[in-house]
Amino acid sequence: MKRKLIRRSIRKEFNGWWAISLIGATVILLPILFVFSSLFLKPNENWFHIREYLLGTYVKETFILVISTGVLTAILGVTLAWLVTAYDFPFKRFFRWGLILPLAIPPYIAAYTYRTMLSYTGVVQATLRNEFGYQINPEWLNISSLRGAIFIFTLFLYPYVFLITKSFLENQSASFFENARLLGRKPFFIFWKVVLPLARPAVISGVVLVIYEVLSDYGVTSYFGIHTITTAIFQTWFGMYDVQTAMRLAAWLMLIVVGLFIIERLLRRRQRYHLPAKSRPLAAMKLKGAGAAAAFVYCTAVFLAGFFIPFIQLIAWAVLTFDTVWNATFSTLLYQTLYVALISTMLVMILAVIVANVCRKPSAFTYFLAKWVTTGYSIPGAIIAIGVLAIFIGLDQWLAPLYEMMGMADAPLILSLSIVMLITGYVIRFMATGYNAVEVGYEKIGIKYAEASRMLGSGVTKTFFKVELPLLKGAIFSGFILTFVEICKELPLALLLRPFNFETLSTKTYQFAKDERIHEASISSLIIIAISALSIIVLQMVNKKVKE
Amino acid sequence: MKIVDIRNLVFSFSSAGEPVINDVSMTIQKDEIVGIVGPSGSGKSTLLRLIAGLEMPWQGSIYIAEKPVVTDKLFVQPENRGVGMVFQDYALFPHMTVKENIMFGLSRLPRREREPRIAEMLELVKMDKFSERYPHELSGGQQQRIALARALAPKPNVLLMDEPFSNLDADLKAEIRADLCVILKKANMTCMVVTHDQADVEAICDRRITMGQRQKEDESH
Repeated sequence: MKRKLIRRSIRKEFNGWWAISLIGATVILLPILFVFSSLFLKPNENWFHIREYLLGTYVKETFILVISTGVLTAILGVTLAWLVTAYDFPFKRFFRWGLILPLAIPPYIAAYTYRTMLSYTGVVQATLRNEFGYQINPEWLNISSLRGAIFIFTLFLYPYVFLITKSFLENQSASFFENARLLGRKPFFIFWKVVLPLARPAVISGVVLVIYEVLSDYGVTSYFGIHTITTAIFQTWFGMYDVQTAMRLAAWLMLIVVGLFIIERLLRRRQRYHLPAKSRPLAAMKLKGAGAAAAFVYCTAVFLAGFFIPFIQLIAWAVLTFDTVWNATFSTLLYQTLYVALISTMLVMILAVIVANVCRKPSAFTYFLAKWVTTGYSIPGAIIAIGVLAIFIGLDQWLAPLYEMMGMADAPLILSLSIVMLITGYVIRFMATGYNAVEVGYEKIGIKYAEASRMLGSGVTKTFFKVELPLLKGAIFSGFILTFVEICKELPLALLLRPFNFETLSTKTYQFAKDERIHEASISSLIIIAISALSIIVLQMVNKKVKE
Repeated sequence: MKIVDIRNLVFSFSSAGEPVINDVSMTIQKDEIVGIVGPSGSGKSTLLRLIAGLEMPWQGSIYIAEKPVVTDKLFVQPENRGVGMVFQDYALFPHMTVKENIMFGLSRLPRREREPRIAEMLELVKMDKFSERYPHELSGGQQQRIALARALAPKPNVLLMDEPFSNLDADLKAEIRADLCVILKKANMTCMVVTHDQADVEAICDRRITMGQRQKEDESH
């Protein structure tokens, strides 16, 4: 009976779209499973060495970093979000979007900018010395430490918490807040006892995004010389060329991510309150005098430190180095970055559209399919990179006889030295960005147009091109921009998977910074920041449209 | 000739739940207009979706114009069944004009026959002045006429209508119902209409089928 039913279902549903979705899901899942499988292989000598002497430090520093950043971004994000939604104070309208801007500066760029500014020859110490004759203790300003990394991550990642909490507060909290006031409570009490508990799921999802970013990071941690599991993965590969041990480390990192995922679910499990569907914005309270000044100073300080100061510093350096950096090599760099990002983004969008189309019919199977193809986003780039690397090296070994037949025996690594490997990594990592946008689009148009089209004699493919594609254009466009930006910014994957001598904007920036040619990194940094700002604008526009 | 022949149909939305449609059989003859009535949740709309091929039955078979479309061994995709459907909310493609909407179903017709067919359809539903309009520029009643014209244009074997009057004002309803009756008879269309309103059945249907625990068939008119 059951088997007959499954056969009937397959006969109804199966088509080319399904086949492509399944192939896509397999390609995405394979490297991740491969990394996991390394846990069951017999470890080699390197592993014992790492476990004996290093793993303790890696895990400890990773945890300190994650927990401190998580707590601090929560505090910063929630307080700022509450200020700009519940109160009126000078320049509040500006801060509502201005405080998102730190997200446009990737933490690794912020890290080298701040370290250089605070160094002996940097603008801070030089000014103090030359203008005021004051010699500050350099140790106070040394941010190449765990403390410094926490500072950078907090300041440049808090917008995740800010954004999600703000949109929650704006849309959901008005009636509770006003009721609580009518019951005679002071705003601060209400914030603590009513708003915060209600906002908890939103805050947690923001913090989890921050933690994923921190776990993925290679730029900041390696630049500051901090030992996390991610930096260890890089060292094992670049230092010892030991894929197996790198995979084993990646598998352990992966277990942490899975644990985090489960904790998040548990924390939010009982928190899905039934909130009223129709809501109106909170009426802001006017702050006066000291209160208004304090709110303004707090927001201004965060904005200056999180965006304005490093941005201006980068512009100053860019002016200094414009003539030396802006040349033919640089345009090649730009071209390469955009070209690879464009191809990867197109692949992501094509696959996203196909899988999302298949997954509109709800069933246990489509539920898992949608989860599979989007797993990449919650998995640190280094893990994906190592998985992809291992698979491509395996593929090259497997294809070696073929290469020999084709007379290329002297070059045994063909796939694993090609750009295909990097593109595969990008597609796996950023599938979710494109997919989520397309999924929202499909949800908005619903299934009725597709059904009407089928009833009028058009098959699945014709229906897609004639009916759904024109209606999905906006969603595909915003998904495209968001994915494209993420790929342009990405660092760890690009560092591990790029072909020899192939540079992207982000790897070149990182290279400059690592070689202490900070000033020369400024132009590529500014371009990355401009591209990131583009995605923020698109997101804001989409949000506005949704609200209307 | 039996246009729709349903044998022992069983359907459920989940493997755990009670079947919505449990061992249903029925036949519809050519040129009949049949009303499907019954309490909400009795599977009226689901029955139409099963005939259309938008859902798959767990058991049983369906024949349309004496050809099998669902059996244990076969599933004919909706686009190949020769079934027309007017959706509850019409589902007119918002990015196409009235004319393009009707043209959409005519891809199997030779090119030079398409324009005359569209004109014929627009005349049938008395909407010939509106061919260049977009759906959002039409009233609810006008949208319904276009949805009807679009579904009839490819000359389906059977037309399925899911609550065709539920989105219309009460005073508009009587008028449109009368028009619909004329149009369907003029087009010689076999038709199944799902409705919860007995008055609809009395106004346009030759026969009624009541869905419920046990489906009942009784003659009216």
